[in-house]
Amino acid sequence: MTDLEYLSYSKWKKLLVRTGNFFTSLPGKCGNGLKKLGLKVLNFFMNLFTSLKGLVTTFINGDWKTRLSYLVMGFGSCARGQWGRGILFFLFQTVFNLYMVNFGVAYLSKLNTLGVVETYKEGRRTVYGDNSFLILLYGILTLFFILAFLYTWYLNIKQNRISEEILKSGKKLKTAKDDLKSLADEQFHKTLLALPTLGVTAFTILPILFMILVAFTNFDATHQPPSKLFTWVGWDNFRQLLSSDNASYGGTFGQVLLWTLIWAFFATFLNYFLGMLVAIMINKKGIKLKKVWRTILVMTIAIPQFVSLLYVSKMFAADGLINGYLMRWGWITEPLPFWTDPIWARVTIIVINVWIGIPYLMLIATGILMNIPADLYESARIDGANAFQMYKRITLPYMLFVTGPYLLTSFTGNINNFNVIYLLSGGKPLSMNLSGNAGYTDLLITWLYKMTVNDTNYKLAAVIGILVFVVTAVINLIVYNMIPSVKNEEDFQ
Amino acid sequence: MRTKASIPEAGMGGQTRTRSKAGHEKRVNGGIYALLVIMSVIWLAPFVFLIFQSFRSYLTETGGMVDYLLPKNGWSLDNYAFLFEGSDFFSWWGSTLLASIVLGALQMGILALIKREVNKRDASEGKTQYLFLALSLLVVFVLSAAACVILHGKPDSLILSALPALVLYMAAGYVAGRFYLKQDSRLLQSIPGYPVETPLDKAKKIGGLGALYAGVIAIVMCIIKPMNASQYLIWYGNTLTIALFVAVIQTVIVLSVSYALSRIRFKGRKLIMNVVLILGMFPGFLTMITLYFLLKQLGLTQEGAVPGLILIYCASSGMGYYISKGFFDTIPKSLDESARIDGATRLQVFYKIIMPLAKPIVIYTILMAFMAPWGDFVFASYVAFGKSNSYNVAVGLYRWVNVNDYQGYFTRFCAGGVLVALPITILFLCLQKYYVEGVTGGAVKG
Amino acid sequence: MASVSLRHIKKVYENKVEAVHDFCLEIRDKEFVVFVGPSGCGKSTTLRMVAGLEDISGGELYIGDRLVNDVEPKDRDIAMVFQNYALYPHISVYENMAFSLRLRKMPNAEVHRRVCEAAEILGITEYLGRKPKQLSGGQRQRVAIGRAIVREPQVFLMDEPLSNLDAKLRNQMRAEIILLRQKLDTTFIYVTHDQTEAMTLGDRIVIMRDGFIEQVGTPMEVFEMPTNIFVAEFIGAPKMNILKTRLVKENGRYYVTPFGTRIPVDGERAQALEKKGVGTKDILLGVRPEHIVLSAPGEHAIPCTLEVNEMMGSELHLHVKTADETRLIVRVPTINLEGDDRTNMNFGKPLNLTFESKVMHFFDPDSQKNLLV
Repeated sequence: MTDLEYLSYSKWKKLLVRTGNFFTSLPGKCGNGLKKLGLKVLNFFMNLFTSLKGLVTTFINGDWKTRLSYLVMGFGSCARGQWGRGILFFLFQTVFNLYMVNFGVAYLSKLNTLGVVETYKEGRRTVYGDNSFLILLYGILTLFFILAFLYTWYLNIKQNRISEEILKSGKKLKTAKDDLKSLADEQFHKTLLALPTLGVTAFTILPILFMILVAFTNFDATHQPPSKLFTWVGWDNFRQLLSSDNASYGGTFGQVLLWTLIWAFFATFLNYFLGMLVAIMINKKGIKLKKVWRTILVMTIAIPQFVSLLYVSKMFAADGLINGYLMRWGWITEPLPFWTDPIWARVTIIVINVWIGIPYLMLIATGILMNIPADLYESARIDGANAFQMYKRITLPYMLFVTGPYLLTSFTGNINNFNVIYLLSGGKPLSMNLSGNAGYTDLLITWLYKMTVNDTNYKLAAVIGILVFVVTAVINLIVYNMIPSVKNEEDFQ
Repeated sequence: MRTKASIPEAGMGGQTRTRSKAGHEKRVNGGIYALLVIMSVIWLAPFVFLIFQSFRSYLTETGGMVDYLLPKNGWSLDNYAFLFEGSDFFSWWGSTLLASIVLGALQMGILALIKREVNKRDASEGKTQYLFLALSLLVVFVLSAAACVILHGKPDSLILSALPALVLYMAAGYVAGRFYLKQDSRLLQSIPGYPVETPLDKAKKIGGLGALYAGVIAIVMCIIKPMNASQYLIWYGNTLTIALFVAVIQTVIVLSVSYALSRIRFKGRKLIMNVVLILGMFPGFLTMITLYFLLKQLGLTQEGAVPGLILIYCASSGMGYYISKGFFDTIPKSLDESARIDGATRLQVFYKIIMPLAKPIVIYTILMAFMAPWGDFVFASYVAFGKSNSYNVAVGLYRWVNVNDYQGYFTRFCAGGVLVALPITILFLCLQKYYVEGVTGGAVKG
Repeated sequence: MASVSLRHIKKVYENKVEAVHDFCLEIRDKEFVVFVGPSGCGKSTTLRMVAGLEDISGGELYIGDRLVNDVEPKDRDIAMVFQNYALYPHISVYENMAFSLRLRKMPNAEVHRRVCEAAEILGITEYLGRKPKQLSGGQRQRVAIGRAIVREPQVFLMDEPLSNLDAKLRNQMRAEIILLRQKLDTTFIYVTHDQTEAMTLGDRIVIMRDGFIEQVGTPMEVFEMPTNIFVAEFIGAPKMNILKTRLVKENGRYYVTPFGTRIPVDGERAQALEKKGVGTKDILLGVRPEHIVLSAPGEHAIPCTLEVNEMMGSELHLHVKTADETRLIVRVPTINLEGDDRTNMNFGKPLNLTFESKVMHFFDPDSQKNLLV
């Protein structure tokens, strides 16, 4: 099929062809992806190998200062007068050794069992045994530390080699002052990124790894350190959450996931189209007080959600304002079950979310509408388009194109939209049909929260977290491959 | 908004060529107005209700949740009074305000003196003048500190507050003085067409100094807590402290990361961006228990919840670089290159060239970082667990509604909510422009 | 003031694309050198390597006697004018120009003196207090140049500085740059894609293509003796006509035979061909449009028909087609036309062309090189 042929097709046929293409190209794409990944892995090992080879050759060719540096980090640097670097290297090695001897080795050796010595009572005194939590946490930390040490050690040797080369070519080595200066210039990115990287490593990567590992243990209410041990259980937790027999959470997980996706869909697209509509209304020529309308709507963004959402949730309660007035006016006899009936609750949440979400989308849409080149409309008008056609052919495609990536992030953001659900309904109404304390309006993320805080069922919380990640990642991958605008930024410019 | 394209009247636009068309146009506009009015009512109603209910007395009427709107026993300020019960908040702030007015006036006077001095001499020999400036500010501070002591009658807390305030105050004075010196140096004045300072500029400068001063005082007071406070005020102070610190630290971190990723091509740049992308797909609360435990190891839970929360909010903030990186990407690279050829180090390029140009995004980042802690309920309640003095407003008020509800804390929640929402909303509406710039930029670039 | 010497300079990007291959050039002190070539030829990359904005992948770069491969741009003592001017938008013109001096901690009085002096030279004194945004394109250009002059650098780099200006302003600025150069008397490296700028400004021109130097020479040299067809076509506007034809050597005399005519080659060209030992062979013959003249029909004349007539005022650019569909461009001074030719240069008019041997260029059809070089 040539491009020209494709262009002559009707709209539906085009769609058909495109979808067909997507699926026929899927195996190829996956294959390519795997191939790339394989190449990357191969590349990594090749690099590792050359680095190792470099280590050996440096040892053979190096002078005694270099060789001694293999044992005592920073020796070479100090011996060549680069005291600053040398002392840092040496300090790092000392700290590492001390840590390993005092803590690291002990924790590492218990990592495979997560501790065997139980805590017991000796009369009135509690004798603490192993703490599985600490073993797991410090085990990971020690592994991090070892990797960091190996890398630093490698750097230390590389440094020696470079220094030797520089000295051989008759140039001077950098002094500590030069090093410091370069941190504000050539190496400025290191200065900028050092602290954030450290923060992310310690407070994001480490905890995530920890929780991923927890998903493979039996860490829950009955296995709480320090009084009780927990240990590795393999894939049991995943089986428990996903299998469909009665004793497990399979059914509940399915329901919660389904509602999460439905919610994310409505929360994203309903807000999107309504927000765009409102933006178009406010920005229409001839409408006055544009700023006032905008400001009024923006109030829901400005006021902290815990105030507005908590208040609104109380407004809709059975004994709240809305039901009170409706009953007093005689419109209803029974309070409307805003938070007690599953369907009502879900719809109410989606509607209230519109209240929160429209202003945000309105602002974004306004910004984009302003950026649509006016000559597009002029040319369309000359070609004889009416207002609706212009909207359909220019405004909408432009908006969708420009906000494609935003829709994606917004969708995944809504999957994890904790605040709205938690502050409005708290996941209620609960049900006997759902296990694990889940309610009808619980999202995966609020369920996860309940698991952690109320049930202290950490192992399942960890599994849910991993599954949320999987869902998000899959959606992202599919959308990235299907929507051209996510990748291709040039078209409309 | 980059281009000045006229706002497209997509949807219902169009030329009005005939009379019937004009009528049609009018009807459409009328419909839109009606819709907008209805929307405005819906949008504002909950907030108006909130305010109404906050004026129902919990003493003489009922403080719980009721199904009517307007107070029956008359409007009262009882709920608000409750929020401040047992604190010397008003007398304290009154005297502080007075002291700061004195301080500010003296500072202005000194600056004016220096300005005159500088205009007499050549501005190129600046160093001694800075010394003079600093010394005079010191004198001012000692004087006004004495005034504070007399007004407050609490010398011990003031000595505590004096030290950090002094440092910050001198820094502010230095900046302000530098500003003056630069503006008024004779050489610049001799340049043709050099912009003359208008009264508006002066007003802005004075306003800026005032805001700076108020900020300094607020931070110091939040840390030192010199006054007797009610529970609500403690929560408020906690939140304010967190918000101020997070605003500063997070902004620095986010800007550093986005600048590095946008401007510097280094090994591992792509790797960092990919890792952040993947990490971002994990749900935030997954790691809550681990973070709690890490904080506990550091002694930063319960009593130490405030610094603990600051640490957590800031630690991972580097991952939120996306929007500001998008902004930096739009600043031409040749500016960096030109500055580097002109002799600037990358650090100097960062704060002399890029930062002044990135003002909208800096303000956006500060605004976002400042507003986020006000709404955080989940993690804050987890970390502060059980220690009501470590709560932030969100946690405290949530407990009023959901735990103490049947003791009639609902109206007090309303009053507390109003006092939280008011300053935030005003701040937000003032800086709305930057917010819009940030969200649109972020959305458009993905 | 310093010489610049590029020795076997190479640029290889991370994706293994080689943008500049083995670039060798000695730029003398106070010389004005122009890099010219189509976009993507590596001229800007080379300049940016001299500036230190791009890493040098191989070879050595000397400014004066100093090897500067690993020297940061700020320590190279160079100044550069960018295509989009790169003025700092948030500070005044005065501060823009003073920026580099302030970074050097120069005393205020000296800064003031230098800025005012530069502003005087460029005629922008009255704009010193303004922000760059309030200036027109030409004024911004001057500020950018002024910012470079105040530094009194060893080498002055300019990266397509005129390409954002409109045609008229460009001509004016070109003249000003020539004047400026007389005043400053320092080493210039100037990058452009416009051959007119290259010809008018440069002491020497470096013509580049695909990362290779095609030819280095004075404007006269590259115009009169292009080393290959690329240079021949690139320099001069409208571009040189290239004809497929045959060079015939008979009885020690050379002839070219375009379109069945027989034009003798004599004088210097014939001697040069003789010297190079060129025999009868197929060649590509290059003739510049201005060297073709209208003639009466005859043995040496090439008959053709007129397709397009571009009236430029002082001259006509005639696009003509010969019997075998080859298209040629002829540049005829209006003043040389008489009578019917002057009024009736319309589509389809039959014409006869001819040209002299001293303006011919002979190229080898395989190597595309000039046979005479």
